Amino acid sequence: MLTLATASEFSHYVPLAVLLVMALIFGVANLVLTHVIGPSRKGKVKGTTYESGVNPIGTARRRFNVRFYIVAMTFLLFDVEIVFLYPWASVFSSLAEDSGLTPVFLGRCLFFILTSIIAFAYAWRKGVFRYD
Amino acid sequence: MTLMGEKLATIGPEMVLSVGALLCLFLGLARSARVRHATPLIAGVSLVLCIVGPMAWSAARPAAPGEIALVLGLAATPMAAFLKITIASIGLLLLLVSYRTPDQLPQNIEIERSGAAFDPGQTTRGEFFAFFLMSLAGAMLCAGADGLVWLFLALELTSLPTYIMLVTTRQSTLAREATVKYFFLGALAVAMFLYGFTLIYGATGVTQLYTTPVTEGLATVQSVVAEWRQEGQPLPLMLLVGMGLAILGISFKIAAVPMHLYTADVYQGATTPMTAFLAFVPKTAGFASLVLLLGTLGWPLPEPIAAMLWIMAVLTMTVGNVLGLMQTSVKRALAYSSIAHSGYMLVGLLAGSAAMEAGQPVVASGIAGILFYLVAYGVANLASFGVLGCLKRQGEEAETYQDISGLHHRHPWLAAIMLISLLSLIGLPPLVGFLGKIYLFAPAFFTGEPAMIWLVVIALINSAISAVYYLRIAAAIYFGQPSEEVERDEQTARMTGSGIAATAAVVLGLGAGALGLTDMLAKAADQPGKVLIQPADTDGDEAASEDRSNIPSATAGRN
Repeated sequence: MLTLATASEFSHYVPLAVLLVMALIFGVANLVLTHVIGPSRKGKVKGTTYESGVNPIGTARRRFNVRFYIVAMTFLLFDVEIVFLYPWASVFSSLAEDSGLTPVFLGRCLFFILTSIIAFAYAWRKGVFRYD
Repeated sequence: MTLMGEKLATIGPEMVLSVGALLCLFLGLARSARVRHATPLIAGVSLVLCIVGPMAWSAARPAAPGEIALVLGLAATPMAAFLKITIASIGLLLLLVSYRTPDQLPQNIEIERSGAAFDPGQTTRGEFFAFFLMSLAGAMLCAGADGLVWLFLALELTSLPTYIMLVTTRQSTLAREATVKYFFLGALAVAMFLYGFTLIYGATGVTQLYTTPVTEGLATVQSVVAEWRQEGQPLPLMLLVGMGLAILGISFKIAAVPMHLYTADVYQGATTPMTAFLAFVPKTAGFASLVLLLGTLGWPLPEPIAAMLWIMAVLTMTVGNVLGLMQTSVKRALAYSSIAHSGYMLVGLLAGSAAMEAGQPVVASGIAGILFYLVAYGVANLASFGVLGCLKRQGEEAETYQDISGLHHRHPWLAAIMLISLLSLIGLPPLVGFLGKIYLFAPAFFTGEPAMIWLVVIALINSAISAVYYLRIAAAIYFGQPSEEVERDEQTARMTGSGIAATAAVVLGLGAGALGLTDMLAKAADQPGKVLIQPADTDGDEAASEDRSNIPSATAGRN
């Protein structure tokens, strides 16, 4: 069970503040560094909006490479896997040690990961990752 | 065994099917052609194993007192066990009917011919059998659902594979059109019943439909509704609207009015064995879900829901049969017959267990009627589509009345199988369709309400109307001029599958009682969501109490 913190205790917000500061530094540093170090070649094409390699100006009713969908689906595979792993991980550590549930939970998660691996291997064999 | 482990034990058949599906998916892309061709065999073996395996497992390890008493080792409720056996058996016949389908696709023939240069990106054989098994596993999960979330996921698992199977098993614009229609209307239906589910949750505050040992002592939709009814409170509008939307959405799966519009086009566009699949699997899943959902309200159903189902039943039967009369394609006529049969089954859903609780015999349970009719419709439907699938006109699938004209003179066996299935669909004794209709209409009649008796009268008139187009098919087969262009496809397995189905229609019609089916149905129909617990005896419940003591710690840790 969680112990409720009183309103005066801000100490456990410190990690959050550190995270925020780090994110800010990372973002700003990246912008500044690319500006300073990076070569600056400007051009008409380079200045246009980036839209996944598709020309952003003109009609939207055009044909897309079907690969976009396949990549999106492969992404979904891992995305969904992560979504399910999170709650599993948060529950796993709070399982009672003497309950004998730990092997069951671990086995279940391993089976779930196995299905994702099979899906990944299937996609590989189907030639999803072949770009030519 | 722990309680969560117990819950896992209630889905043994589904787990076997999922492993089989993964194997099919994987081995369908194997380098060796022999392994690739073994995928239908793997599918067949997993369909047998999914029933035999858990049965043997539970026989070897009987439930300890206080655990869920698995029904035959297959499921927590008798209804789910009955449906799982039904789905696996008819699934096996469907596999016989459809296992050559991927081999007949032009692109697959091309791939096999090219030999050494096997391109895994182009084949769809392994996928077909994998999705076949997944869809059946989804239907089984529907039957065993105890909560709204589970039910939703199971319904989705049933339908999503069918969209892909539909488009990959036939290369024609018709199939593509059918898939697009089926997919978009299916998505609309999903949105509807999902919204209905959220309203049910909003009204009752729980997603659990029935009590299971895992959720012992917590509120369920059933207990909340029962409390309201006991206190004499009217059911909240939100619950009724939610149930209504859920019924409308699920009526897409069972092809009932007003969500029937896709049926004829999709059944016609699909390749014939696939049509047989579409007419059985989603329908079974849909009716199982409806029984479980309405079971939380209890029979007799609340007035607005009953009125809605009454109108749906009448419209579904009538629209199905009247439009069936007007078709020139046998496939479309059988599609409308599928709609009409859903209408008959809605009569059973409406009657429910009302008459049985009033002390009438087993025949008086509408739920038993639905379960039996799913079998009856399943075998007859499979036999008729199987026969159609055996015929070809110039390489194309046979589907018009001319295509089957004079079939008797050329292929008497196929004609006989078709005749049996048609007579069973009409509901003539001694075939299984007759018994099915008695089981469906008798409970409605026994309730003694005028509205229900009128419903039975309308259903009987509809059965008479349906005889016209079924007999027109039979007349074309037996009295028509044989057409030279139509030939039999060399499909031994397909013919065997429909032959077994037709035999089952006769055997079940004659001896459903002798086979113990009625006893099983009586158990299955008694409170659809009721989970049986092994009664505690005096000795040896030490282990069980130890198991129990784990639950608080496990759940407390999670909170």
